[in-house]
Amino acid sequence: MENLEKDVKLQDKPKSNFRRKVGNFRKDVVKDFKRNKIIYLMVSPVVLYYIIFQYGPMYGLQIAFKDYSPALGFSGSPWVGFDHFIEFFNSFFFWRLLVNTILLSFYTLLFAFPAGIILALLLNEVRGRIFKRTVQTITYMPHFVSLVVIVGILFDFLARDGVVNDILVFLFGMEPIAFMREAEWFRTLFVGSDIWQNVGWSSIIFLAAMSNIDPSLYEAAKMDGAGRFKQMFHITLPGIMPTVVILLILLIGKFMTVGEEKILLMYNPTTYETADVIGTYVYRKGILESNFSFSAAVGLFKAMIAFTLLVIANGIARKVSDTKLW
Amino acid sequence: MIKKNLKALSVLFSLIVILLLAAGCSNNEASNDAEESGADVSKSPEEVEYPDQFTYWTAIDPNVAITSESLNSVGVYQELEKITGTKVEFKHPSGEGTQITEQFNLMVASDQLPDAIEYNWRKVPKGPDNAIENGTIIRLNELIEKYAPNLTKYLDENPEIKNMVTTDDGNMYAFPFLRGDQSLMVFMGPIIRQDWLENLNLEKPSTIDEWETVLTAFKNEDPNGNGENDEIPLLLELNHIKYSGAFVSAYGITPEFYQQDGKVKYGSIQPEFKEFLTKVNSWYDKGLLDPDFAAIDSKLLDAKVTGGQLGSFYGFTGSGIGKYMGLMAEKDPDFILAPSPHPSLNEGEKAARGQLDPAYSGVHSVAITSSAENPEELVKWLDFAYSEEGHMLFNFGIEGASYEMVDGYPAYTEEITNNPDGLPMTQALGKYVRSPYGGPFVQDKRYVEQYLTLPEQQEAVQLWGDSAENNIIIPPVTLTADESEEFNSIMSDLNTYYDEMVIKFIMGEEPLDNFDEFVATLQGMGIERAIELQQAALDRYNSR
Repeated sequence: MENLEKDVKLQDKPKSNFRRKVGNFRKDVVKDFKRNKIIYLMVSPVVLYYIIFQYGPMYGLQIAFKDYSPALGFSGSPWVGFDHFIEFFNSFFFWRLLVNTILLSFYTLLFAFPAGIILALLLNEVRGRIFKRTVQTITYMPHFVSLVVIVGILFDFLARDGVVNDILVFLFGMEPIAFMREAEWFRTLFVGSDIWQNVGWSSIIFLAAMSNIDPSLYEAAKMDGAGRFKQMFHITLPGIMPTVVILLILLIGKFMTVGEEKILLMYNPTTYETADVIGTYVYRKGILESNFSFSAAVGLFKAMIAFTLLVIANGIARKVSDTKLW
Repeated sequence: MIKKNLKALSVLFSLIVILLLAAGCSNNEASNDAEESGADVSKSPEEVEYPDQFTYWTAIDPNVAITSESLNSVGVYQELEKITGTKVEFKHPSGEGTQITEQFNLMVASDQLPDAIEYNWRKVPKGPDNAIENGTIIRLNELIEKYAPNLTKYLDENPEIKNMVTTDDGNMYAFPFLRGDQSLMVFMGPIIRQDWLENLNLEKPSTIDEWETVLTAFKNEDPNGNGENDEIPLLLELNHIKYSGAFVSAYGITPEFYQQDGKVKYGSIQPEFKEFLTKVNSWYDKGLLDPDFAAIDSKLLDAKVTGGQLGSFYGFTGSGIGKYMGLMAEKDPDFILAPSPHPSLNEGEKAARGQLDPAYSGVHSVAITSSAENPEELVKWLDFAYSEEGHMLFNFGIEGASYEMVDGYPAYTEEITNNPDGLPMTQALGKYVRSPYGGPFVQDKRYVEQYLTLPEQQEAVQLWGDSAENNIIIPPVTLTADESEEFNSIMSDLNTYYDEMVIKFIMGEEPLDNFDEFVATLQGMGIERAIELQQAALDRYNSR
């Protein structure tokens, strides 16, 4: 922000001054490069990665406003303005896609995000070192299992004649439920399996944050007669708050990206009603029907929402606490 | 601090600008010479040789993939290399179904094309004419006429097939896969457990009412004799209802587009479709339908059939009847799957349609791309398959190895029919020939005569062919580029909605009173326009 203001101010100044500044600037850059060449070298792979894989492809975003045909290329395809966006807003599934995307994200945020914090808090209270380590290892192990395998396990366990139904039938005498075929179950399964897979992994970062809390705070609290719960609420939680807020902001930035690859593996026409999201729609339209322009427009729309949310979340975080991304 | 940031930012920006410029330039270079699609036919046919080598993109059939990593090690192509001296570099996409669609679309979009591509070119997005116009593939009329005497001869002798392989613009775009006989075009229909019928003293059902009687008996009278009520009377898949008219054709319609006296109609908005749904929904309520019908895959189907639970389903002669009879031969000697006629509403009537592929459907057609340097050589190479020698090679393989001539009849050897490694016949055939799944050649009926070894399979082709009228099927029409863009944009959302709703109607989650609303929604989504587009294409086809 400050940089931009500086830019504006630079332009307001008389020309000669500006030229001199540019001259100085160039000299400064060269000097800086010479002085820190090793550091620049070290950072270059990262910068190159971002340029090649994150910024470079943005050049292709223009096809969202064009009628793209591979034969004509990016630059040769004719402009059509906002046609694809209008087509999407008017399409039959627009509201369903939007609602599904937002709800799935929202539930993930509501249930999966706190799960990691809660597990970390619980582990933090555990005294037995071996027990703690074992629990940690077991809970973060599933994170390394491929999604395809996870969804395969889901299908097997939740089949009409799978383990889960066997147990339900045996214990409660219920009718078997075809979990993977019922739209009402999709969100529960999606978020539930996400928690199962990732809760251990996401707790690691919070545990790390907890280990940074000054032990003297706990001692002081104990002197004042605070019990385990009081210590947790008044020391541990506030201590990890900055980490929580930053992670939350970052998650909100990804709000509209809800793990489409997992949905693609999990859904079928019987669950489209709750499972079909913008990302899967983009895949079907773009890759399978090769409507590249249309799906680029839909994807861009999604990215714009995510960006707006990120800015808002950061603004709120800045207001209510002192933690922020920028 | 500010200064430092500014520096870093400006470095970043200049790098981005350079990169974008570079990207822009390289893209301009890549934009292809689309004008070159008018092929060079100046060489005389005698001058043209077989190519030294070329690249050939084609999906590898799962039954071939079991024994061979690439088509290079398949008998027909090894022999072909000896004859023509051409080295073919095969490129096989991985996976199956939509994964192949995905890889095809990305390949075309990337403009990195091999010399020849085998795909369903009739069904590519925006159609084959557009692919030619865009410079993805080249128009073949002149090349075929001049350098492909064998295919030309076949098409001249079969003008109705020439109609099928030519677009409305008069373009020929690919070397087609042609089914040489009616008996090769029927391979799917209702299949029923004959032994269950016999256990319960029932006749094969031929009308919808008879089916209901049989299915109810399957459900209640324990035909598999294990004392448990675990029978699933019927598995009816949505795709089979939709694309082959399974059971619904008894009502005189098919759910998709069909024609009546040259007029295109869409079956699912007709009142007959409601009657059908009402009937099927009542079957579902009574437990006569497999509740997994909405999301079934081949593994699940295998388990249900070989587990002795499923009483009837809609399936193939080869990978249905043949496969399961083979698998069950030892496990359960009584197990018999028999074909049942396509059901009709009243005794003595015929179903409006059954599964019947046209002689040319578009699958496995090979187009030559604009990156091919000597298309005339490729044409000559591809044309070989339509010659007498090539015909035998593609259908029966290598004489002495995969077939012997017995009294002028090419009989498959033991290697194929009773493979020493224990391979099923489909897979043994896959090691040598392309006849079981298709390719750019004319399929021979003598292949299917030997492939369908069981009497039930032979009967199936006959029975399924005879019990359906098949007049309402629309021939393989082509849409123009604009039409298919509009058509696809209507149908893709419509089909998503359609699948969901029909499944809900059948499962009773959506009451059938809402059928009128369903029709109104389809109309709102533009089904009438889609019918118009199909009509226009059909009119053009009929006047070819």
